[in-house]
Amino acid sequence: MSNIELYKNAYVESFEIEIDIVESLEYQSIPEWDSVGHMVLMSTLEEKFDIMLDMDDIIDFSGFERGKEILLKYDVKI
Amino acid sequence: MLLKNKLAFITGTNRGIGFSILEKFASNGCNIIAHSRKKDIDFSNKLNLLEKKYNVDIKNINFDILETDSMKSEVYKIFKEKIPIDILVNSAGIIHGGLFQMSPVKDIRKVFDVNFFGLIELTQLVSKYMTRFKNGNIINISSVAGIDLSTGNCAYGTSKAAVIAFSKTLSSELSSYGIRVNVVAPSLTDTDMAFSKEASKEREFLLNSNKPFERMASPSEISDAVFFLASENSKFINGQVIRVDGGNKF
Repeated sequence: MSNIELYKNAYVESFEIEIDIVESLEYQSIPEWDSVGHMVLMSTLEEKFDIMLDMDDIIDFSGFERGKEILLKYDVKI
Repeated sequence: MLLKNKLAFITGTNRGIGFSILEKFASNGCNIIAHSRKKDIDFSNKLNLLEKKYNVDIKNINFDILETDSMKSEVYKIFKEKIPIDILVNSAGIIHGGLFQMSPVKDIRKVFDVNFFGLIELTQLVSKYMTRFKNGNIINISSVAGIDLSTGNCAYGTSKAAVIAFSKTLSSELSSYGIRVNVVAPSLTDTDMAFSKEASKEREFLLNSNKPFERMASPSEISDAVFFLASENSKFINGQVIRVDGGNKF
């Protein structure tokens, strides 16, 4: 599975949503992406990409696009 | 064997209450990540004996609770193994006694760094990992000093009160992920720490009493309470503090 597929699936699995809406997602743009859902997404990404996100990046992870930039810091190219 | 095949991460396991918790858990079939500040051959030998005696895996992990980088590095190595940590017991701590007016702020800060900030830093790492598995159980060792807050407890007592307050709010936050958080608050316990000068007043009183409950707790009496909270027997208990003090107040 490619990184973009893994990345999108992290949203699908964490929020139990359809894949076609993930690219437009921002933090709190849907009820599922609240603070609780956010931590589920973070731990799912950590597991899928075998990384440990720093606290500053978890806070800064504000949406689908921003998330891609943050993952680059961990050598994960989406 | 209430903890059979579970994995517990216990801090401050090389002596005192932490070691008693380690032994209690191992005797109930629990695999253990046993934290101690430094590597020590005698302690390693003890762990090997316990592993054989109870047929469990015990991995010794070493870091100073005050050193963030070393903590992260060691903890990440465990996470890489992708094995769920079922239980975290924060047992590491230091004691301090003295009137506020005679306690340098740097000493108070150090007590908080170990007893509170070290604890929350590790908990932040491990609880995030537990979130991945939507399961976990965190038990923080506080003290009756953190509840009663009597004279001389401006550092130790307040740091342990902070642990209780933190645990209560954490229990509320982490319940969404299926993670419980509880606290055990022991009174003076028969460990090396109890024989430090900081505990002299309380110790002398308890040693000179002949009433059945006016005595120091044994480490196993504390680990019994921790074991209860770690087991499924307490599965609906969350955000609570259990005093283990024989009913004594100072």
